[in-house]
Amino acid sequence: MNKDILVIGGGIAGIQASLLIAESGRKVYLAEKTSMIGGNAIKFEEVFPNMECSTCMLAPKQQELLQNANIELLTLATLKRLDGSPGDFTATIQVKAGYVSPVDCIGCGACYEPCPVSVKNPFEENLNERKAIFVPCAGALPNVPVIDTDNCVRFTKGEDCTACQEACMFEAIDFNQEDKELQLKVGAVVVATGFDEFDVKDLPEYGYGELDCVYTAMEFERLFASNGPTLGELTLRNGETPKKAAIVHCVGRDKVGYCSGICCMYSAKFARFLKHKIDGAEVFALYSDLCVPGKLNERFYRETLGEGVSYIHCGNVKVEKNSKGAKVTYDSAGKSESIDVDMVILAPAVIANPDNVALAEILGIECDSRGFFATETGSLAPVTTSREGIYVAGCAESPKDIAASITQAGAAVNKIISTAERASVPQAVED
Amino acid sequence: MASEEYRIGVYVCECGPNIADAVDIDRVIEEISPLPGVAVVKRHKLFCSGEGKEFLKQDIIDENITHVVVAACSPKDHEATFAGVCKEAGINPYLYQIVNIREGCAWIIKDKEAATKKAISYIRAGVSRVGYHVPLEQLELDSVPDVLVIGGGIAGIEAALSLASPIRKVYLIEKTETLGGTAAKLAGLLPYQGEGPGAIKSKIDAVGENENIEVYLESEVEKALGFFGNFEISIRPHEGDPVELNVGAIVVATGFSNYDPAEDKKWGYGKVDNVFTALDIEEQISSGEIKKSKTAPKKVALIHCVGRDEVGYCSGICCNYLFKIANNLKETFKDANITHFYRDLCVPNKNDEAFFNNLKEKGIEFVRADVSGVSKGKSGIEVAYTDESGEKGSLDVDMVILAPAVKPGEDTERIAEMLDITIDETGFFEEEHLLLGPVNTAVDGVYIVGCAQGPRNIPDTISQSNAAAGAILSRLIPGQKLLPEVKVSEVLESLCTGCQTCVNVCSYGAASYDENKGVSVINEAICRGCGNCVGSCPSGAIRSKHFTETQLHQEVIEALLS
Repeated sequence: MNKDILVIGGGIAGIQASLLIAESGRKVYLAEKTSMIGGNAIKFEEVFPNMECSTCMLAPKQQELLQNANIELLTLATLKRLDGSPGDFTATIQVKAGYVSPVDCIGCGACYEPCPVSVKNPFEENLNERKAIFVPCAGALPNVPVIDTDNCVRFTKGEDCTACQEACMFEAIDFNQEDKELQLKVGAVVVATGFDEFDVKDLPEYGYGELDCVYTAMEFERLFASNGPTLGELTLRNGETPKKAAIVHCVGRDKVGYCSGICCMYSAKFARFLKHKIDGAEVFALYSDLCVPGKLNERFYRETLGEGVSYIHCGNVKVEKNSKGAKVTYDSAGKSESIDVDMVILAPAVIANPDNVALAEILGIECDSRGFFATETGSLAPVTTSREGIYVAGCAESPKDIAASITQAGAAVNKIISTAERASVPQAVED
Repeated sequence: MASEEYRIGVYVCECGPNIADAVDIDRVIEEISPLPGVAVVKRHKLFCSGEGKEFLKQDIIDENITHVVVAACSPKDHEATFAGVCKEAGINPYLYQIVNIREGCAWIIKDKEAATKKAISYIRAGVSRVGYHVPLEQLELDSVPDVLVIGGGIAGIEAALSLASPIRKVYLIEKTETLGGTAAKLAGLLPYQGEGPGAIKSKIDAVGENENIEVYLESEVEKALGFFGNFEISIRPHEGDPVELNVGAIVVATGFSNYDPAEDKKWGYGKVDNVFTALDIEEQISSGEIKKSKTAPKKVALIHCVGRDEVGYCSGICCNYLFKIANNLKETFKDANITHFYRDLCVPNKNDEAFFNNLKEKGIEFVRADVSGVSKGKSGIEVAYTDESGEKGSLDVDMVILAPAVKPGEDTERIAEMLDITIDETGFFEEEHLLLGPVNTAVDGVYIVGCAQGPRNIPDTISQSNAAAGAILSRLIPGQKLLPEVKVSEVLESLCTGCQTCVNVCSYGAASYDENKGVSVINEAICRGCGNCVGSCPSGAIRSKHFTETQLHQEVIEALLS
């Protein structure tokens, strides 16, 4: 039985699982498909219900992970094959070349400026631009840039541009780096591939893409983040500061067929951000059911109410363009009403990571009808997948908050170690 | 002050152009070299590189360096890196100090002269401080791998099953005469949660069959002393003498209680016939009693959020279990009219809403309203309510089922006191960190799971039990030594007046009072070095190792004066 473990996904669930496994003395390979760890949680300025600074909360964990001798972090890494059987898997991982040596690079950032290419930055929800050699945001860990070969002129046009290489004082940039395939022997796998946002463009009644003042939740998170595209200045696409905002809950809930369970809470957080940041801001929360389960969440909602946020129970919300920005109409208590606002924030359903289905096939496990990894519910095993030795944690299993993701990561680690403990020693026989 | 035998080595990193371009390193060397105790001041283009580390190591050895100062980047980047080099070079890593002249000087000050001055003052402070460092040693402690689980409900059962193995024994303590807790009384689970009462029963059976789990029924834990890896436990069993146990960790799984709807007469509970709590009905369904009743219910009202305002939170499970009960009643009594009175639907799990929609298709009614009273009506029971448009209404029914809020278990306070763990504003056990340590407590080695930590459903309870087990299994490894914090607090007994302020401020239970000596004692195995006791001690009797007053004073004075 191989003691080493593969963790797929470097978000908060994957980080927590890796740290716990490493603590037990096992070697962990953490395969993350992007160039940085932290997943979605690292994008938030503050997190509910205690409005804690997310970076301050997570950075020590990220740091610990990077310095842990038992953890081998593979960035730009995806699983291609999984052979063998539980306890004795061989994982084939493709690691894309980043063209920057993580050993030599000290993260000074001197290579960005001379790069002649500017493109939209998907990490920032395309709200700003980055270079073709980049880290996704300030404070990204590991603090090692990578070259985006889809945009770097060396790779797209075959130009002999060496601007970044010349700027680097540490000879860390190597255009000859190649993609590689690693064969890793592991005993078990933890799948922690996180979530995606429902695509609000599928619901034209919310005006997203048509109206400049309509934002998704993730866009708003980055707009508010002090390391985000506006350095935390709440400025609309037209350069103005919003004065009157509507936060629309449950966007796409009917389409996906479930309540994501976290949107009411982060929407309340948004309402507070607006109230605290903008003097005299008016905020309307348009909700259909208030879902604030747990011992401290309702207090958070009540405090938000206390700050003067207007909660309106309603349905049939529509967003149209008008001179002020947007006219939001809705049905409430049997009547049709409307408000004029200059900012609309949509809280879209949490959906499964679109990569899950292909990954499930590679892993030989099942997804549910919505693309989340299915767990063995019959025996009440919330992290056990349909295949022995493969466990799931965090939003890869279903929408959940940070605490529940951390909990599932611990649960997956429990399954791995307890399976090993039971097998490693012959069962004592009693007379 | 630096002794004459000290040979302090100061190593200034250029960090490529990052520091070298912004700080005049030649001047730094010139000004630092003559300081007392300083044997060498050397520069390197990148100390964190393989070559740089090798250079540092060799130079420490060649120059007989006794104390090391590295002036480089943020300690977050490379404090540990250079501590490792010191160790390799044979120097106690606590005789080293990193000084941040990159983020603290080079990267934030444009004027080279000003950046250089600041870097010099930082390094002088580091040199001054390091002269007062003393070598510290890592303690190594033996540990017991066995675990105590308090509470034999589904949370405790799952924790025990997740932990027990041939190399790890679990003691499962239950105060009643049976295992299973509330879960065992339920009529079943939601269809997507499992195969009903059988799932719970098979777990109870598995405990009985597991020879590595020792169950104590009708027993209570009376005393728990010690720290992670070594707790001494005293159990009062049903009969006989107290049992003494040694365990390495403790899982608290003491479950919950329910809001008592009789507290507010508006619910009619205990006053009006056929007003039940959800748990009453679950038991009637499980026992089959509900089918035997002479008159089948024709009109049933299910009332959500009973006691929610009193407790101040949404319990998060009531909507779902009321759906389950409604579904069950509809299957048993096909003609019954079933109406839910709810405020907000709380169905946060991915399969909840489909089940809810299915109920609507079966003709179960949902009224969004505040119920103002349940009373004896002309024909049966009258449920009075106000709907969302403010209209008052009433419904006559012959059965009412109330969903009372989930409250902390009755023993919560006693257990909190015994284990020295805290309770939060809602009365449940308080976690170490709401998001990052939801099953940990401030006392290392004591974990809280299931409804003892807060209201939750069975799958989430099981996740928490597994998570606590994961945390324990990853750290409490048979035969492996525990490595406690090195930079801990220590009491200078001659100065201690025995006021016990430190005992009160310590969140980790590391400070205690020695009655014989009349002084406070810090348990180094528990102390995490936060320094709260140091700051609060009115007589200056507590010292934080590696952050002594002298060390800090010398550092600050030098930084300010130079």
